[in-house]
Amino acid sequence: MSLLYDAGQLAIATEARRVLEARVEFAALLPLLEQQGEYHAAFWETAKEQGWTALALPEAYGGLDLSLVELGLIALQAGRTLSGAPFLTSSYGAARAILDHGTDDLKIAWLPRLASGDAIGAVAFAEAQDVVPANAAVTFAGGKLDGVKPSVSAGLKADIAIVLASEAGTPVLVAADLAGVARQGFNTFDNSRCTANLVFQGTPAQVLASGDTAIQAALHVLALQAVVTAHEQTGGAEVLMEKARDYANTRRAFGSLIGAFQSVKHRIAELYGLVELARAGALHAATRIGQPDFLKAAAAARIQATEAYDTAARDCVQIHGGIGVTWEGGLHLHMRRARTLAVEQGNMLFWEDVLVDQLMGELA
Amino acid sequence: MTDIAAYAARADAWLKSVAAEFGSAARRGLSEADDLALGRRYLKARFDAGYAGINWSPEFGGQGLSHIEKIAFETEELKYGMPAAYFGISLGMPVPIMMKFCEDKAFVRERVLKALQGEEIWCQLFSEPAAGSDLAGLRLRAEPDGNGWKLNGQKLWTSYAHHADYGVIVARTDPAAPKHKGLTYFWVDMRAPGVEARPIKLAGGDAHVNEVFFDDVRIDDSNRLSPVGGGFGVAMTTLMIERYVATDSAGFGPHLGLFVSLAQEMKINGKSAIEDGRIRSAIARNYAMRNGLDAITARAMLMMQAGMEPGPEGSLNKLVSVRSRQKLSELAIDLQGTDALHYDEHASTKDNWQTSWITAPTGRIAGGADEMLLNTIAEKILGLPQDHRPDKGVPFNQIPA
Repeated sequence: MSLLYDAGQLAIATEARRVLEARVEFAALLPLLEQQGEYHAAFWETAKEQGWTALALPEAYGGLDLSLVELGLIALQAGRTLSGAPFLTSSYGAARAILDHGTDDLKIAWLPRLASGDAIGAVAFAEAQDVVPANAAVTFAGGKLDGVKPSVSAGLKADIAIVLASEAGTPVLVAADLAGVARQGFNTFDNSRCTANLVFQGTPAQVLASGDTAIQAALHVLALQAVVTAHEQTGGAEVLMEKARDYANTRRAFGSLIGAFQSVKHRIAELYGLVELARAGALHAATRIGQPDFLKAAAAARIQATEAYDTAARDCVQIHGGIGVTWEGGLHLHMRRARTLAVEQGNMLFWEDVLVDQLMGELA
Repeated sequence: MTDIAAYAARADAWLKSVAAEFGSAARRGLSEADDLALGRRYLKARFDAGYAGINWSPEFGGQGLSHIEKIAFETEELKYGMPAAYFGISLGMPVPIMMKFCEDKAFVRERVLKALQGEEIWCQLFSEPAAGSDLAGLRLRAEPDGNGWKLNGQKLWTSYAHHADYGVIVARTDPAAPKHKGLTYFWVDMRAPGVEARPIKLAGGDAHVNEVFFDDVRIDDSNRLSPVGGGFGVAMTTLMIERYVATDSAGFGPHLGLFVSLAQEMKINGKSAIEDGRIRSAIARNYAMRNGLDAITARAMLMMQAGMEPGPEGSLNKLVSVRSRQKLSELAIDLQGTDALHYDEHASTKDNWQTSWITAPTGRIAGGADEMLLNTIAEKILGLPQDHRPDKGVPFNQIPA
C-alpha cells in the first residue's frame, strides 16, 4: 500500500468531511457530556448509512473490502468533528478479532451485523493500569466468563465483546455475546464514549486464541485500533491547529493581530509540525498492515498522535484565552476527547514500552 | 523494484565499492589538507562514475536526470561519510546560480566541469556581522567604478571560503533604497587582490567557516548576476534550489539505533539503562518523531515521482530533527556518566555523541535558524501575520543602527 492516496481514497475523505461537517455540530455534542449512556445518534446513523462500518471488512461478510488506509481517512475526519460515538473503532477491533480467530459460525453470526452497524462490538482487554493482562482477573472456565472488565469503551451499548481472560492461569481470548450481561455505567469526562464495567456471571463465550497466541492476538487487535485512533487524534489535532490559527488571525490585542506575536505564531507553527508528523506516522502505519514491522509502526503512530492531540488541546485553549475555557466555546470537548483517546486502547506508557521492545528485538 | 529503487541500488553498489578508499574509516585522523585532497579525488571518482551533476543539464556536464535521482544518490552517499562536505555548498547553490544567471556560457561550462570534479570550489558570501537571519540588512558596499564595481566590507560565516576559488556575493548598491531593494548579486574571484578569508574556529574545534574581508576589490559589470537592485530576488532563488536535498531524520547526528545500543550497555542503579522508563520514553518519542519525518520524506519522493509538487511539510525536517538530536546527544552523555567526559575532537557527528552534541547548535542556526523556520511555517503555510517590522519600507540608510 502506498503513502500516496489515490483518487478514490481522496474522494472518500472529501465526502466524509462534507457529510460530517453538515451533520455534526458542537451544540449537539455539549449536552451529551452531562448524560450517561447517550451517544450522538446522527453520527452513528451517518456511519452506517455511508458504509463506514463495513469499510475495512471482507465482502464475504457484507464488507467493502477496503483497507486500514480508508478507515483511517474516515477516522481522521471523524476526529475533526469529534465523532459522537466510539463504535467505529470498537466494532472494527471486535470484527478483526473474529475474522482472524473465530470459527466460521461465529463469523457468519457476527461479521455481517458488525459490518452493517446493526451490532456494536467492544474490546475488553485492560484491567485498570494493565493494558494487556497476562493473568486477567476475569476468568474463563467451562466455556463461561466470570468477573468484571472495567471501563470498557462502548461497553454500555455493545452487543459483543472480545475479552482477554485467564483460564487456569493461562491467557485466553474469547468472544462473548453481551445479551444479558450487566453493565455498570459511571460518569466519565467524555460520556458519549458509553464507557461501562462489564459484569460477567457465567457468561457463555467462545475461545478465539489461548496461551501466548491470545496475548499476541490481543496486541494485534490493539495495534489495529491504535492506527484508527491515531488518525482520529490527528484529525482532532488538525482542527484545533486550524482553530488556533483562525483565532490568532482575527483577535487583536496591543494594536495588532495576536498571530503577529511570536509567542503565539510559533506555538501554532509547532502545532502544524506535530499534526504533520502525526498524519505521516498514522498513514505509514496503515500501509504497514500485514508486514513484520506493523506493531512498531502502530506504536510509533499512536505515540506521535497522542502527543499531537494533547498538545493541540492544551495550546489551542491557551491561545484562545478566557473564551477557550468556557462551556459554550466547546474547546473542552477536544480536551476531554484528547485525554480519553489517550487512555483507551493503551496509554502512552504502554505504547512506549511496546515500541522500545520492538526496537530492541531488531537489534538482538 | 521501481526505476528509482534500482538507481539507488546501483548508486549504493558504487559507493560501497569506493567506501574503503574514501569513506569515514579512510578519513579518520587525516589533517584538513589531506582530507580535502581526498575529497577532491572522491569528486573526480564520482564524476567519472556518472554520479556528478545528476539533475543538471548535459550541456554543463550533468547527467540530465531529475532531482529524484539526485536525492536518491545523496541519501545513499550520506551513509558512507564521504569527504563531500567541502563541495556541498559549492555545488548546492553558487554553481547552479551561475548556470542560471551568468550569461557567459562558455565560462560557466568550464567552471561547472571543474567544480563537479573537485578542482574548484565556490563559496556563498551572504551573511555579515549585522545580517544573519535578517539577510536584507547586509552592509557590504558595491559602488560603481568605471565600467564595473568596487567592493568594500565584511562577510561572515562563509563556509569553506578559505578553500574557495570563486564566490557569489550579495552587496548593497543603493543605501538610499529600502533594504530589500538596494541589493545586487555578483560573482567574485576569491583570489583577487583585496579579498582575505580568515577561518573562524567554532565551538567544536573545527574551522570550516570564515570571515571574509573585501578591501577595494574591483569586479567587472559582467560579474553581475542580477539587475542592479534585484539581488534579493536572486538570493531567494537560491532557497528554491535548496528544496531538493537529501534529508536525515537523525538531524545529521547519530542513528537512533546507536542510542538503543548504548542504553543496552549502560547501567542505571545497577540495572540495564534500557529497562529505565526515562530512557525508554526518550527512545520511543524520538523514534515516533523520526518515523513521522521519514514518512513525510518517503511521501515527498513518491509525489515527485508522480510529477506532483511535494507538500510544505518537508520543511519540518531541519527544525525538528536537529533540536531533537541535540537533546538526545545530551541524554547520551548523561547515560555514560563521567566516562562521557572523554572527548575526541576529530570524531564524527554521525557516530559520536559528544561531537554530535557540541556541533548541534550550528545546525539549528545555519541555513535558517529555528525561529526563522517557525516564522516561515506560520506566515507562508498557515497565513499568520508577519512580525512587527519597523524597518519595512524605510530607506536603508535611515534605519536606526
